[in-house]
Amino acid sequence: MATDAPYLAARGVSKSFFGNPVLRDVSIELYPGRIHALLGENGAGKSTLINLLSGAMPADRGTIEIDGNPVPRMSPAAAQAAGIAVVQQELSVTGSLSIAENIGLGSYPRRFGIIDYTELSARAGAAASLVGLHEPLSMPVGNLPLGRRQMVEIAKALYRKPRVLILDEPTSSLSASEARILTELLQKLKGEGVAILFISHRLPEVMALCQHVTILKDGVRTADRSIAGIDADGLVRLMVGRDPGDLFPHWTTARSRAKAIVIKGFSSGLIREADLEIKTGEVLGIGGLAGQGQEDLLLGLYGATPAETSAAEVNGNAGLPRSVSQANAMGIAYVPADRKREGLHISHPIITNLLLPGFARAAALRLRNRIKEGEIAKGLAAHFAIKGDLDRPAQALSGGNQQKVALAKWMPHQPQVLLLNDPTRGVDVETKREIYIMLRQFASDGKAVVLLSSDTPELVHLCDRVVVIREGRIVSELQRADLSEQAIVAAAVGAEPTVTAA
Amino acid sequence: MNSSTSAASFTRRASMVLRSRPFLTFATVLLVWAVASVMRPGFGAFGHLRYLVELASVIGLVAAGQTFVVIAGGIDLSIAAIVTVSAVSLPLLSIDADPTGLTAILATLVMTTFIGLGNGLGVAYLRVHPMIMTLAMATFLQGLLIIIAGGSAISSQNPLVAWLGNARPAGIPAGVFVWLGVSALVLLIMHATPLGTRIYAIGANPLASRLSGVPLQATTTVVYAISGFTAGLAGVLLLGMNGQGYVGIGDPYLLASIAAVVLGGTSILGGLGTYAGTMPGALLLVTITALITVVNASAGWRSILFGSLVLILLLLSGREKVRR
Repeated sequence: MATDAPYLAARGVSKSFFGNPVLRDVSIELYPGRIHALLGENGAGKSTLINLLSGAMPADRGTIEIDGNPVPRMSPAAAQAAGIAVVQQELSVTGSLSIAENIGLGSYPRRFGIIDYTELSARAGAAASLVGLHEPLSMPVGNLPLGRRQMVEIAKALYRKPRVLILDEPTSSLSASEARILTELLQKLKGEGVAILFISHRLPEVMALCQHVTILKDGVRTADRSIAGIDADGLVRLMVGRDPGDLFPHWTTARSRAKAIVIKGFSSGLIREADLEIKTGEVLGIGGLAGQGQEDLLLGLYGATPAETSAAEVNGNAGLPRSVSQANAMGIAYVPADRKREGLHISHPIITNLLLPGFARAAALRLRNRIKEGEIAKGLAAHFAIKGDLDRPAQALSGGNQQKVALAKWMPHQPQVLLLNDPTRGVDVETKREIYIMLRQFASDGKAVVLLSSDTPELVHLCDRVVVIREGRIVSELQRADLSEQAIVAAAVGAEPTVTAA
Repeated sequence: MNSSTSAASFTRRASMVLRSRPFLTFATVLLVWAVASVMRPGFGAFGHLRYLVELASVIGLVAAGQTFVVIAGGIDLSIAAIVTVSAVSLPLLSIDADPTGLTAILATLVMTTFIGLGNGLGVAYLRVHPMIMTLAMATFLQGLLIIIAGGSAISSQNPLVAWLGNARPAGIPAGVFVWLGVSALVLLIMHATPLGTRIYAIGANPLASRLSGVPLQATTTVVYAISGFTAGLAGVLLLGMNGQGYVGIGDPYLLASIAAVVLGGTSILGGLGTYAGTMPGALLLVTITALITVVNASAGWRSILFGSLVLILLLLSGREKVRR
């Protein structure tokens, strides 16, 4: 087996987005009859590597090989011809089409130029029964719950009788019994000689299922080895071990006993029954894998999505804000993760972006004072080192400067609680450093800062305290003394931490 | 030194104005007027141009509300029906206790504002798509009008309405004064109040606006209410000019209002634009209509020409830039 050429391989591939390297000189080999795990933190480059392997995007450097032969122009069509099927993390099923139509989409059997539905339902039915989908094949996929849609997605990949099957976090939305069906199916496919690449954050699952593991960290391959002889702890270490350098400021805690926000039995979106106290003067980190409900916690506190609690207190007011305006009036400000869609009006001038929260709460028909507005905006720009003409549209700014605008616009209103959603995503290192210093400054000014971050080192080096959220629940609360990337990642993936004396 | 930088800033500002859409649209109007007066003496006569501006004032009023709605990211397809409602129900509201006729006008305007408010509530709170909401409203109003007015035209006896439609203080039609007054108010709200900024904000990015604390639903509602008010006012003026109201009197003003907004450079996608562009846009539309009348074609061909010319002008004046 090991002497055969790998069905699919990447050799020394690199990829950058807008000058940010996402993958650097990464190699991976997928052999038939082997389940290969690909591990790494959020943003380590896993999805990009899959996109390169499946031809969804071209590599900047390096080659993709099929059966040992380099493919000069890898494309989705070439991947399909070579029998490579990908089950994406983000579902690509179409809700209004039936199960059978979704499974066969793109390669419908034809007869006299029209779709042969008899043949389609026979073949789609075979693929569906492999994954335990027993719903009628004519049912629209939109009527299925999320986990069943995921199974449709997998059946869609099997319909093409793949030689290489790539699964990007296929179990994240599956129930326990669906996950078991999938596990058995993968074992069976492995026996039939399919090469499988399996991406998951659930380490116990990976340990049980896979034979080989490749680990990515910040776009670099840190391990490529057999899974025998390594434990979950060892895997976590390989995923996070990195030198934080002097990116982070030195700080002493400014946490007081006063509570900025207290919630009990808080539910919003994915979040279920969370109890949390946020103190003034602290930076509270929120960690976890992507999409476990962290954002719902912030949006619920901000009054932007409906939330329920059994008891809540915000800056001395009883009850949660029911709207964003109320939240603002209670002294809460929110900086979204997606600057272009949620944080800024990129087609509008920087100055109106900076002043918008003010316009939002001013009396509707009071005349504006352009001179005063200019002074406020200039003051903010100077304080946050936002350079250039403030009359330019915000899209003229770099990502880092856009983020500073999104943060700065709240400052005239002296918020007591700052909810920050991944404030350094896609921000250059220099601006990151500036933002870190600001966050600690906010805390020592007596504000409460809630920092949701997909960047684990940030949580470790900036926070007084970190809560980790998994599947909508707060599963762990780590004080500063106990903070380490290992502890956070272990809590995030549900691996039992091995207790070591500090 | 200081004077040279201020001079540089003045040139920069001047060139910004000269290249702005409102100015370019206005320049186009003047150019067409100049060319047409040379080709056809009489086109450029004061009386004729005054007549064009008078016609433009009705479009301008209807388009004022439409500009607000479009900048806020919506569209109001009930405008024509609201104009008709105003022109048909005002004659029915003859109130004997008020010989000036002012009460009837105010009552009509309150009514059309409430119709607009209904649109706004549907769009903002029931989350009906603006096209569906306003189209449904238009259909509803049309049915109501047929029941109330039937097929017959109703003459207005209201003295104030007649004055607005026919008087010419200082040689300028009263309707033009109404238009100018409303325009000043509209420009003030748009560019000099927090409400105006909120309207631009919700049109450019509703989600970011909501997260910035902008009252999204209230602002949306207000915008449609304004549109109901200006359409009602346009109906009053139209009734005054015509002397009688009938079902269908407002019909030409739907396309006209949208065309004036877009010709004036306001983005149909919302968030960008100004009423300062819509005003010359309205003038350009009536000018095109006048030119077509001069050509002396049949009604069918006039309509075809009008549609084609509007399309050509839009293509020439730059289509929507692709947004990221």
